[in-house]
Amino acid sequence: MKMYIALNPRLRLTPLVWVLLTLMSVGFVVAMIRYVNGIGAISNLTNAYSWGFWISFDLYTGVAIGSGAFIMASIVYIFDLKEFRPLLRSAVLTGFIGYIMVIIALLVDLGRPERIWHMMIYQNHTSILLEIGICVMSYTAVLAIEFAPVVFEGIKWQKFAQLIHRFIMPFVILGVVLSTLHQSSLGSLQLIQPTKLHPLWWTPLLPLMFFSSAVCIGLAMIIFESSLSSRAFGRGLETHLLEKLAKALPIALGIYLILKFGDLAFSGDFQYLFTSGTMSWLFWGEIIIGVLIPLFMFLFKRVRQSPSGLLFGAVTLLLGMILNRFNVSWFAISRSTDIVYFPSWMEVSISAAIFAAGILAFGLAARYLPLFEHEES
Amino acid sequence: MKPIKQYAYLFDTTRCIDCRACMIACTVENQVPMNDSYIWVAGKDVIGEYPNLKRATMPYHCMHCLEPSCASACIVGAWQKREDGPVVYDDTKCIGCRYCMNACPFDVPHFEWDKGIAGGALITKCQMCKQRLEVGQEPACVQTCPTGALTFGERQELIAEAHKRINTHPTRYINHVYGETENGGTSYLILSHVPFKELGLPEIAPTPVNAVSETVMSGTLPFAFTWGAVLTGVALLVRLRNRGKEIAAAEVIETEKSTEETK
Repeated sequence: MKMYIALNPRLRLTPLVWVLLTLMSVGFVVAMIRYVNGIGAISNLTNAYSWGFWISFDLYTGVAIGSGAFIMASIVYIFDLKEFRPLLRSAVLTGFIGYIMVIIALLVDLGRPERIWHMMIYQNHTSILLEIGICVMSYTAVLAIEFAPVVFEGIKWQKFAQLIHRFIMPFVILGVVLSTLHQSSLGSLQLIQPTKLHPLWWTPLLPLMFFSSAVCIGLAMIIFESSLSSRAFGRGLETHLLEKLAKALPIALGIYLILKFGDLAFSGDFQYLFTSGTMSWLFWGEIIIGVLIPLFMFLFKRVRQSPSGLLFGAVTLLLGMILNRFNVSWFAISRSTDIVYFPSWMEVSISAAIFAAGILAFGLAARYLPLFEHEES
Repeated sequence: MKPIKQYAYLFDTTRCIDCRACMIACTVENQVPMNDSYIWVAGKDVIGEYPNLKRATMPYHCMHCLEPSCASACIVGAWQKREDGPVVYDDTKCIGCRYCMNACPFDVPHFEWDKGIAGGALITKCQMCKQRLEVGQEPACVQTCPTGALTFGERQELIAEAHKRINTHPTRYINHVYGETENGGTSYLILSHVPFKELGLPEIAPTPVNAVSETVMSGTLPFAFTWGAVLTGVALLVRLRNRGKEIAAAEVIETEKSTEETK
């Protein structure tokens, strides 16, 4: 009989847990300094670099790697592929924790975090950022609903779990729509900078680029996160399922690649591929690491069936795509100053603390909630 | 009724002597520290090759665009283009996201990096001395300018005046009024004797930079509903097909059973 189990209901303070707690404490102290003395007291952000590491890493990367949840929900619920169910719960949890991390990071990055609710009452309907704000907020609520049955099962409130499960479909569809919107809107967010964002990245198709790459990132995230948790919690890897996901990746990456180069050819920006110095290098970096290498790797059955091949391909794809998010939101934007921004250690410590809290939260959930499917003989 | 005048500035590089009195006047009028002045002056190095050398100074402040991208980008609508010219800021709405700083093609809005929660960090920028406009006065920078390099008035009249100066001295000026069409037109107009690029002014098309993002944004809700309907349709179709398969599979088993029974 198949059932979901909690892994190991004993909390041990391993060295890893101590490292995570230390990172969280440091970040907490730094955040307090920020709330008392201002963002300038802990960051290297300036008027020329009003957005920096936090936006590129916590918002752009965080939302991108949270895409596994909506990809998995689409596969299991919309396409009704029940065999993928074992991967669903941890993917939804990763997304849920990821989005809460994004929100916490924004509460540090916003100049007036105590006014974040203003976006609910003073809505400006031409603002792409409003769309992202509303979508991220609503989607986090949807993820909470999608994950609630697991919590209710964990505390043995089966009736509630079944009740939510019966009415899950509208929420799943809402979740996929919200994800489509805000994954693409993170691209649209830079549309307003046609004079600042380098032409290798600025295109009216930015939302489409972001959505199609988010599909690739989501698939890779499921592979990555299943591989890691199978190693961390010493459980079997669903290689046969991951292989099928990996098989879809060359197609998804191929579509993205055609969009990217088709757009450059169409807009006449092809020349910049080789003539823009650092920018050309950054562009080729994200294409080769994030698209070409994983596309090529996942064409081979041998790679798709090997746990290390799957992990390596997924990590390569993720690194390249993260470089893309950094390029669009940071590296490829021209500035009115020659001073180059580099994040301070305190800026990074905020992100590290939030990341550590996320890992700890996932670890705790894996221990105490029925997250993974268990084959019982 | 008298139509509302749309005010604008006109700056003429050939009249500027780089005294920076405008900066001082601005900081005094708006009660801001010198390093947070709403005007920042860039004294450009010597331009050109000997013996054709030129110098130019450019005082920057808000361009007061006719279609401001800060107002388009702002998540809470804290920016507003007033009919009489200035792009003004509602500091009670702002949440400090700093998207306006990204959106502005002229990098005008600045942020109070040294203020915490209690201090209430906000965005700062020139608001055309709106407190002075209300009492019928010119902005402080214009009133202080000793050479008339900065002037203030009705936008159309200033554009006419700028073209008149170009026509009177065609060799002195670059034949273009910066801000007449840039980014859909601005309320800070600039006349220059050196190329505008040398002044650090970006080359911007007459289409406002927010045009594409606003088009995308206006399509969002229709797209969301269509996409939701498509997903619902796909989910229903898949289930219908799967159920058909299950029934077919069940029928196969039934027929197999019955054939076995007849055997």
